[in-house]
Amino acid sequence: MKANVIRLKHMINLKKSNSGVKKSYVPYLFILPWIAGFLFFTIGPLIFSLIMSFFDWPIVGDVKFIGFSNYIRAFTSDKMFYHSMGVTFKFALIFVPLYILIALSLALLLNNEVKGKSAFKTIFYLPSVISGVAVSMIWIWIFDVNYGVINYLLSLVNITGPNWLGDPKWAIFAMVIASLWGQGTMVLIFLAALKDIPKEYYEAASIDGAGAIGRFFKITLPLITPAILFNLIMTIISAFQQLTLALVMTKGGPSNSTYFYAMHVYNNAFKHFEMGYASANAWIMFVLILTLTLLVFKSSSAWVYYESDGKK
Amino acid sequence: MKKGFLFLLIVMITIAAVGCGKSKKNVIRFATWDSAEVLEVQRDIAKRFEELNPGVKVQVEAYADGYSQKLAAGFGAKNPPDVMYMWDFPTYSASLESLNQYMEEDQSFKAILADLFPGIINYSTIDNQIYGLPVGYTSHVIYYNKAIFDEAGIPYPTNDWTWDEFREIARKVSDPSVGRYGFAVPTQPDPYDFEQFLWTDGTAYIAPDGSTVDGYLNSEATINRMQFFADMIKEGSALGAQESISRAFRGGNVVIQESGIWPLAAHIEAIGEENLGIVGLPRASKTVPASSVINSSAISMAKDAKNKELAWEFIKFYSSPEAVKMRAKTDLPVLKSVADELGYNEDPFYAPFYQMLETAENNTPAFLLHPQYSRIAEEISNAIEKIFVDTINGETVNVREILNYAVEESKQYFTDK
Repeated sequence: MKANVIRLKHMINLKKSNSGVKKSYVPYLFILPWIAGFLFFTIGPLIFSLIMSFFDWPIVGDVKFIGFSNYIRAFTSDKMFYHSMGVTFKFALIFVPLYILIALSLALLLNNEVKGKSAFKTIFYLPSVISGVAVSMIWIWIFDVNYGVINYLLSLVNITGPNWLGDPKWAIFAMVIASLWGQGTMVLIFLAALKDIPKEYYEAASIDGAGAIGRFFKITLPLITPAILFNLIMTIISAFQQLTLALVMTKGGPSNSTYFYAMHVYNNAFKHFEMGYASANAWIMFVLILTLTLLVFKSSSAWVYYESDGKK
Repeated sequence: MKKGFLFLLIVMITIAAVGCGKSKKNVIRFATWDSAEVLEVQRDIAKRFEELNPGVKVQVEAYADGYSQKLAAGFGAKNPPDVMYMWDFPTYSASLESLNQYMEEDQSFKAILADLFPGIINYSTIDNQIYGLPVGYTSHVIYYNKAIFDEAGIPYPTNDWTWDEFREIARKVSDPSVGRYGFAVPTQPDPYDFEQFLWTDGTAYIAPDGSTVDGYLNSEATINRMQFFADMIKEGSALGAQESISRAFRGGNVVIQESGIWPLAAHIEAIGEENLGIVGLPRASKTVPASSVINSSAISMAKDAKNKELAWEFIKFYSSPEAVKMRAKTDLPVLKSVADELGYNEDPFYAPFYQMLETAENNTPAFLLHPQYSRIAEEISNAIEKIFVDTINGETVNVREILNYAVEESKQYFTDK
């Protein structure tokens, strides 16, 4: 009897350990392609560029270890470093709030029961699907000072439109406008968040006499703050990485008024062939974006409301 | 059934691998920056080389717009093409094979060397080592619209015309109210091309020994020439533009255009041979010929090329009269014999390009004179752009101040050698 029990236990253990071993590596096989891709094409190059940033690494020729010199150089003897940072910050300051506002407005509009809602959803999402270069080419034409659509429309109300892409004072706004047009994913995220708000809250509020504005600020806005947080972080990150539009439309001009930081990195790498310095630039931007993101996260406890916590 | 199929697959793969392995020995990778019809001609040259050398395969790699990035990546990864179009000799010379020895040992090559127009090969020479053989070039000329000249009763210009005469003509044919301008000034020109105007005025961006830009980039002559162009924009005799100047010329909105050979075919097609005039660049004074920049393409061999002898044979063939003739429509022949044979020296459309070549030996472009030229060029580019963009937008422009600033900012590249 005992022997049988022991034998049975042994069999069960074997079975358990067998199926245990089998179960533990199959999931990894499933995600292996993605992990391999991530290691080789993201983490690998990341680490390689970090190493490169401590070297004088010309595209052709000998590589020299120079420690932190690249980083020191960026902060002390590179005037374009600060200029491009300034342009990027200016762009982000104008672009991020406007972008989120527009995405939210579009989502609010889509939240109503209107005819052709799915058609509108598609139309609002379309810009994000078109390739950046194609978009830039279209905008070059739209912004043309003499034959462009915008200046034509302005002329109909007797305003002479500015030289959008040729005037240093206006080019950055042209970039903002062209970037704002690229709505897409954010609208859908806001829409999902809006749909998540139980109707009962609105009904209760109307019964208590709240108007539409009160309902928006007291119910809608607090309940979608998680979506706002997500969109805020994503938009900040993409604002600081803006490159395609400037590269194709203005090449950083006129007079470096749209010389984004990403373009500075690009030029250092592919125009001046200083890979080490460009890598250092890229890592500085990484740390900057990371810092901003962490700051936003830290502040989020003050203004983001998660239904699950029940915190104010 | 499954096993048999698997076996067949393995056998096929092995044969393919062996087959590929075998041909790897006689494959030359050839990278070019051209596209469309120009690329087709280059492919034909490659095929002709394969005909003359059975068993050899030339792999034409067309990088087009991404040429400098792809080439840089190839060199960076120590996997460059064997033979390639090359222009930036200062940067790449360390990774290119010096051709001096091949040229000395190869008697048949002496003829080609003597046949080259003098001056062009300087563009691919660093420290007396020749890193590339010129395979095409263009100088810069002035295109003008004969029909509009006839209408305004202006006689056609000749090679000895001066800047002042040029400006007079531009004023006469300009009519901004109908969108017609005498000339078009590029607002974001490549500093490399722009330097030719300074040469005509007897100055340059940088001292001949590369030691400074002070007194050159901000010399009186440079300031005056920049002011000259800015004034033309201000008075309406020139349009300040960057994009589509060629298109504006074809549409009659710009009457005089400065360029290389690139727009020639399209201009002829658009306004007709009888309406297109070509003349040399304006002079500073009637007796001193104007200078033109040379955009030369050369063909080079990588130091890491797998089969150098074969690569040299390809380079030789590419520079031979046969191949040069095949490229004659899109790349001015660099060989005197071919230019003579095709009558380019008399052809009204091609002769001015060769005439502008006469002063080529006198000038060395700045990019060959300083290792950090790309950084200095950025300062120059910023200055030129500021002068023209601010003029277009009606701001007051102090040319001297802007150029002095560029000189100041460039000083850092002359202390650390």
